[in-house]
Amino acid sequence: MTIMKRRQFLGGSVLFGAGLTTGGLLTGALPRLANAQTTDITVTAFGGVWEEAIRTCFVAPFEAKTKAKANVSLGGPPQWLAQVEANPAKPPVDVLIMTPDLALTAAKSDLVDDFTVDKIPNLAKIPKELTDSVLGKGTLFDYGVGGITFNKDRVSAPPKSFAEFVDRVAKGEFVASVPSISYAVTPIMLIWAMAKALGGGVDNVDPFFAAMAKMKDNLVFWGGPNDFFNHLSSGEADVGIYFDGRTWNHYDSGATWIDFINPEEGGSLNGVAVQKPKNANPLAFAYINEILDAQNQTKFADIMNYGVTNTDVVYSDKIKPRITPWQNTAFPPYEQIAQVRNEWVDRWNREIGR
Amino acid sequence: MSDMTPQPTPPRPRRLLLPLFLALPAVVFLIVFFVAPLFDNGMRSILTQDGWTVSRYVSLLTDRFYLGIIGQTVLLSAGVTLISVVIGYPVAYFLVRKAGRFAGLIIFLLIAPLLTSIIMRTFGWQVLFARRGLVNTLLVDELGILSAPLRLTNSPEIAIAALVHVLVPFMVLSIATVLQGIDTRLEESAKILGANRLRTFWEVTLPLSLDGIGTGAILVFMIANGSFVTLVLLGGGLQTLPLMIYQQFNTTRDFGMASAMSMILLVIAVACLFAQLRLVRRKGA
Repeated sequence: MTIMKRRQFLGGSVLFGAGLTTGGLLTGALPRLANAQTTDITVTAFGGVWEEAIRTCFVAPFEAKTKAKANVSLGGPPQWLAQVEANPAKPPVDVLIMTPDLALTAAKSDLVDDFTVDKIPNLAKIPKELTDSVLGKGTLFDYGVGGITFNKDRVSAPPKSFAEFVDRVAKGEFVASVPSISYAVTPIMLIWAMAKALGGGVDNVDPFFAAMAKMKDNLVFWGGPNDFFNHLSSGEADVGIYFDGRTWNHYDSGATWIDFINPEEGGSLNGVAVQKPKNANPLAFAYINEILDAQNQTKFADIMNYGVTNTDVVYSDKIKPRITPWQNTAFPPYEQIAQVRNEWVDRWNREIGR
Repeated sequence: MSDMTPQPTPPRPRRLLLPLFLALPAVVFLIVFFVAPLFDNGMRSILTQDGWTVSRYVSLLTDRFYLGIIGQTVLLSAGVTLISVVIGYPVAYFLVRKAGRFAGLIIFLLIAPLLTSIIMRTFGWQVLFARRGLVNTLLVDELGILSAPLRLTNSPEIAIAALVHVLVPFMVLSIATVLQGIDTRLEESAKILGANRLRTFWEVTLPLSLDGIGTGAILVFMIANGSFVTLVLLGGGLQTLPLMIYQQFNTTRDFGMASAMSMILLVIAVACLFAQLRLVRRKGA
């Protein structure tokens, strides 16, 4: 009798385990078990203050209005896009937050739905250029500017332009921290932006690589945004190429020695696109409508210190001077950059190597 | 007479089935979470939209740039392993033969760094060795030994030091376990027969502890081979396969190339594991 019970237990355990894994493999359903009800959606957010802002500004009003639940999945655009590509019939996330180049990849692969005003009424308040930039299959809802961030305690007269930045770093006046090639938007915020500022562009990035060669003895590379802050706070670097919003977040968190300059040539616009995967829960459109809502975006901008895109947004006095209107930034040709991005990465690997 | 000889009882099928049945969960687990993904990864490395190709492997194994990356990966792992042996063996020897009642404390001190996040430990290196960090401040501002700060972080040297810091405990514990099992009477016999301490160590203790060195070397090599965070944060000019795999996923989204790189990384790991086992067994024989 005892033997039978043990066998039953073992057999049951094996069957249970096999059932779980097989079910998971066949349907990719394990992470979505909680999502099975149509009143649940899974939305995406970056970690840290981003997650907090997403929950406060978008998830809360969405849940209050629809009585549905929005589960927040933390991660990054390459991961989310890969997840949708792996299971387009039943995407594990219902709303994507993407860099524009990956948003274009998703749009061209026909993985995401068209954005229209009848599905998303607040889309009418978003400048058309920002929706067109991702082929109408999504839109930009927030943006940062890639410019010059510096430590005021050590740099009293910061460089005002990319050209000045290159010259002074090359001379050894500062040690600069720039994004490494492993950071997803480096091709836009550094390679293209600096090439353009120095007389090149998408078709000619030689000026950028020449500048990097001049600066190489006085450069360190950051692998992620927090890494940059560590470089500046630990004294490893004095200046660097970074985002305005993150700079002001550090400032508000007590690092009052940090400051930001939008270079004279115009820092690159680094937009964040929102998209809905095909076959995702239709409730996602209601959530996206909340993302594009003027009141919610105003609150989001206050927390994140980033520019937002609804034309009805009125920034608070505190953040207004910190926000560069998107029209005053260098708007990257995302589609063209996506075509040459891998060549740039390969050249970076061979010439710069970090 | 022969009819009276007891014949060995053939194993009953039920007794053979039970071990197989008990092994089933582990086998299923390995198939689902190791063999199948590995197969998928291998297929991904040779498949394209138009069919299949070995061009990724050809590129990785013939392009001087990629060969350099493979070389750096192996050299880094081998260097970290060698340094860990050199540092770890004396510590393990002291721990087993000299530490006495402090052995527990030493083991705790060895393991304690592993209880903190690798990111925090790596950031600790940045704080200590940054251009305006503690060490440079001491050397330049406090003691006046140097006129300008040294560039200590973001270099291969500091990345290797940080990896050794993380991995030495694995080496120490592997060697200490084997040293503990060596019969000290063998060493005493060697001394009685006229060997001095150095010769006793060289001809008795060291050969008998090769298994521990081998185990530690395999552990350290494997972990260093796939190390990522430390190299991202401190690696300076180092380019290794794990960093390139991450780049293929995160920046270029060339999953086929990433798969090919990871298959090569796996082959390197298995080849080195095999070579180290062969070496240790031959030396130990």
